Order: sequence, then structure tokens, then C-alpha cells
Amino acid sequence: MSDSILVTSIDEAMKWGTGKSLWPFTFGLACCAIEMMSTMGSDYDWARFGSDVFRDSPRHSDLMIVSGTVTKKMAPRIRRLYDQMAFPKFVISMGACASAGGPYVRGYSVVDGVDQVVPVDVYLYGCPPRPEALIQALKLLQDRIVAGKVKH
Amino acid sequence: MEDKIVEVNFGPQHPSTHGVLRIKVKLDGEIIVDAQPVIGYLHRNAEKLSEMGGYPKGMIYMDRLDYVAALNMELGYVMSVEQLMDVQVPERALWIRMMMVELNRIASHLIWLGTHGLDMGMLTPFFYCFSEREKILRIFDEITGSRLLYNYFAVGGVYSDITPKSVEMIKEWYGNFYKRLEEIQSIFAKSYIYVQRTKNVGKLSAEDVLSYGITGPMQRASGMKRDVRKDNPYLFYDKINFDVPTRGEGDVYARFLVRIEEMRQSASIVNQVVGKIPQGDFYNKKYSKPMLVRLKATGESYVPTESPKGEFGVHLIGDGSSIPYRVRIRSPSFANLSSIPTMLKGYKIADLTASVSSIDPVFGEVDR
Amino acid sequence: MIPVESESSTKNGIKIVYVAKENLLAFLTEKKEQGFDTLLMITGVDYRDHLEVLYHLLSSKTNERLIVKTKTNEEVESVTSLWKGANWHEREAWDLLGIKFLNHPNLTRILLPEGWVGHPLRKDYPMDKKQYVNLADDGKDRVSFEKSEGY
Repeated sequence: MSDSILVTSIDEAMKWGTGKSLWPFTFGLACCAIEMMSTMGSDYDWARFGSDVFRDSPRHSDLMIVSGTVTKKMAPRIRRLYDQMAFPKFVISMGACASAGGPYVRGYSVVDGVDQVVPVDVYLYGCPPRPEALIQALKLLQDRIVAGKVKH
Repeated sequence: MEDKIVEVNFGPQHPSTHGVLRIKVKLDGEIIVDAQPVIGYLHRNAEKLSEMGGYPKGMIYMDRLDYVAALNMELGYVMSVEQLMDVQVPERALWIRMMMVELNRIASHLIWLGTHGLDMGMLTPFFYCFSEREKILRIFDEITGSRLLYNYFAVGGVYSDITPKSVEMIKEWYGNFYKRLEEIQSIFAKSYIYVQRTKNVGKLSAEDVLSYGITGPMQRASGMKRDVRKDNPYLFYDKINFDVPTRGEGDVYARFLVRIEEMRQSASIVNQVVGKIPQGDFYNKKYSKPMLVRLKATGESYVPTESPKGEFGVHLIGDGSSIPYRVRIRSPSFANLSSIPTMLKGYKIADLTASVSSIDPVFGEVDR
Repeated sequence: MIPVESESSTKNGIKIVYVAKENLLAFLTEKKEQGFDTLLMITGVDYRDHLEVLYHLLSSKTNERLIVKTKTNEEVESVTSLWKGANWHEREAWDLLGIKFLNHPNLTRILLPEGWVGHPLRKDYPMDKKQYVNLADDGKDRVSFEKSEGY
């Protein structure tokens, strides 16, 4: 009886720790990347939610924010970078282009959404979404991690 | 032991790039022997999709070309459409357009300054510049309703008028701007490491600049005093006092100084224009519902404008229907970026980030 | 003096000049000596039964502009010997419109991946037949018409 309570508490503590200290991976492709950089700045401080450092190598990071249009030439490289991240790993798809193709959906060289390349946890609409919306997406992801409802 | 040439790949994702650029670098020890850029990772078919919709519909694709200076892109397109269709624009709208375009030029150079500092290893200018830029974005939010991508210029005028509150915000912003810019500039200029890393690095001579078709601050930093606003004036630039800064060395430090001085000149233009806007209509009432009117046009038109990166224009060919036959975008970053093999040859590998960052490429415009 | 076939102008006064394909390189060399030292861009237009190639020139001393046009069915001479910037513009015209430039140092695709079939800016390009891209083991792109083979 005492063993299972101990294991459950450690499990809950680990999920809380994972959620509250996600390290994002700098992956800005297009216009949404500028709003992501504004969120990192001092007016809409992103570091107070635990994502203090932006890591440059995929092997050191947990969270990939795909911000911008995904083209067919770039898609295999995204898959390769996603495969290099270590478990547990999460993906936020930011903006209309990454979620569903955006204004370029009828083009010949655009992929209709990044969920055809990597599995996505949170979708965020907007063209581009405001920094407050990106912070709301991060909070949503943190709540889902703490509740245990994510897919790897 | 013979020397071997090693090929290193700076892939489409790495921290010191301004977007999705890939460079294949051939190294002999530490000296760069050859550098070939590979582009096309953000090719979003802007030209083909503009040829499938009507004239007003192309505006959303033009916004997303150079996404940090979106109003300059809209200006180039809307002036070309208005020339093609002989549309008269009221004076108040033209003065408003001039003020918005110059504010956007300052916002674009502030992003360049912040990310340039980040590439050179300095974190402080990034936060200072983005905080300054937020003040300008709040002015845009008040006037147009959006922070980054506006869809604000329309055929025949602008979509909404400027409010007295926004004029107050502009005057308050102007009062503090020069002091803040002086502070940010001193972070770079007083840093011995920055000056050593950027003087005599990435030089381009005047013959190379003419041969590659390079325009904008890169051309002005190599000794040629050319600016579309003075050579082929449009809007009301011939009625405003401003100067065109030029330097002669052609290296990364010269381009830095030219852009800082351009920000000061643009702020002075905004201050002069905000007191001169006349009363009147802000759009031409004959075209009050531009999305619904079937605008037909024949002929060709090309109007050159000065965007923060260089000369920008849209060449339109109309065949008498309401859909353009050919939309061709002259993007300045495409020509500027093609000079990378000449700019990097013979320098060391540690100079690569400084040189590429001084070109200020924006990949929405290079790949279209 | 190379003869000019016909002239017209844009709506805001830039002169347009039509030249025959055989005289193109000689005409542009003559213009460069007369002071048109900047080549702004090279583009192409598909008129269904023939193609047209356009050159935008600018003189940095006198601020004069000129647009030179020529008609062709497939091929045109390359002008990389006059201006180094023509290299990338001609590669893009080959990639998107299928205009072949003779004596170009490296005429390969620049915006689309290697192996793409077709030239998208032509008016008869089928927009409903999609192509899919993946990475081969040697790092190069691999393009096919099967949906299961790529993205």
C-alpha cells in the first residue's frame, strides 16, 4: 500500500516537472516566427512560464513550435529533426499555415498542415496569432501534460 | 600530407540564420574556398496564386512577401494596380500612406538590429530593440487593427482613417526615440569585440554591386548614393527634407552605420508628415467596395519603390479581364543574396555569420 | 546600331523595346556600353503559342529605365557574361517557365526540388496532379507522383 502511494506521487511530480519546464526548439519558418520572437521579448515575457532558454539543437529540447508554412521541399527535413528529439517530446503547430495550409492551400508546393508530417498536440489558429494566443497555447499544453493526456 | 577540401553544410535550420537558408561551404582549414547557397525551402507560389484571383485578392500574398515590412510590399503592388487602371487617390490617403510606410521601415530595421546582435552573440540589444518595436506595433494596432500583416492599403485609398489618439501616440513615441536609439547604438559601437569582428569583413566593391544588381543599404554602404525616393520620386517625397546616408568602405560595419542613420532620417520624415496631413476623404468614393467591383484593365505597369531591403516593384500585365495575366515581383533580397559567393570567398569561417546577417535577407521575399 | 522591331511603353512612361532573338546579345552589349549598367530582373511570360523574355535595365548615372523584350519558342542566349546577377534570374526562369538559356554555367532548378516534373507558371500546367517529395539516403531530394512515397 505504501509502495503504490510513493510511486503515484513521484509520477505526478514528474509530470508536473515536465510540464512546467518545457524547453522550446527554435524552428521559425515564416511570418509566425516574428510573433514568436516578440513573445520571447520583454513585453510578453515567455520565460516566466518555465521556458527560459531556447535551445538550438534538437537533442537538447522538448518542445517544437512549427511556425510558418510547411513546403514540400522542407517537410522531410522537419521529420528528420523531430526524430532527433528525445522522449518526451511535444509539438505546437502555430498559425493557419502550419495547422491547415493557410492562404496557400491551393498551391502546388505546399503541404496542407504539419500534422501530415509529425503528430501535433496543440493547434493554434490566426494569421499570425497574437502573442497572448501563443501563451494560451502553452498553458493548454501544460495542463494536458499534468493531466496525462498527450500523445508522443 | 596533402590538403583536402572539406565540405560543410549549414542546413536549413540552425540558430544563426534569418530564415530557411542552406549554404554548402567548402573549407581549406579555416579559409572558405567556395560557398553556394541553396534556396527554395519557403516557395509558396505567390505569383501563380495571384494570377488565379482578381486584382484586390493579390494583396494578401504581397503582405506575406517581406513580412517584417508588409506595408512597403502593399505600397508597391497597389501603386502598380492604380497606374494600370488610372485610379485617382485623394491627397489625405497619400500622406497617410507615406507616414505608415516610413514607420514600417523603422520597425523593419529594429528587427534587423536585434537579430544581428543575437547572431554576434549579444543578447541585450535583442530585448531593447523588440521592446522599442512594440511601441510602433501598438500604433499600427490602433490605426489598422493588426500587428504584423495588415491588408490596409486598398485600390483608391486606405481602409480606415487615422484617429486623434493615434496622432498623440506618434508624437509621444517620437519624443523618446532618438535617446533610445543613441543608447542602443552605443552598445554596439563601444564594444571592442563587435568592431573587430565587423571591420574589413564581407567587403563588396562598387563594380560587384552593379554587376549583381544589388540595391538598398548594401549599395549605399559601398559608396553609391542611390535611393528611389530621390531618383524617381513618388508620393510626396520631393516635398520633404531628408538625407540619404552613404559610406565608402563596403564592409559589415559600414552597413550597420547606414541602417542606423536611415532610422534617424525616417523618424524625421514621420515627424514632418504628421503635422502636414490635410483634411479630406481617405478613399476614392467611386471604388468604395473594391472586393465586389469587377475592375478590368489592359496594358502593363511597373512602379519602382524603395523598401527597407532595396528596390521593390510589381510588373503587371493585364489582358482586358478582371484577372491579371502576369504578376511578376521584383524582390530585392533575391538579388542581394546572390552575391554570397563573392562576399565570402577568402574569409575565415567565423566571419560567415556576420556577413550573411548584414545582407538582411527575408525568405518570404527570396522564395516568394 | 542594332535595329529594333517595335516600341511601346508602360502606363507610367517606361519605354519597352522589342528585339529579334538573334540580335539580343549584341543589343544588350550595346545598351550596356551606352550606360545601362544595372540589370534589375529577367522574367518570362507564357502566351500559349510562344514565350516572351523580358529584361529590366537601369542606368545609374541618368536614372533612365528600359524594358527589352524578345519572342522565342524554347531557347535564348544567356547574358551572364555581361552581368553576374543574371545567373540566378535565368535559373528561376528555367525552373518555373521552361525557358532554356544557352551557355549558362549551371542551369539547374533553384526554387523547386531537383526531379520535379513540369514548369508550374505555364498556363497548361495541371494543378490537380500533385507531386510528393522525400529525402533519399544520399541527401538528395526524390520526387514522385505516389502519395505514399513522400509529403
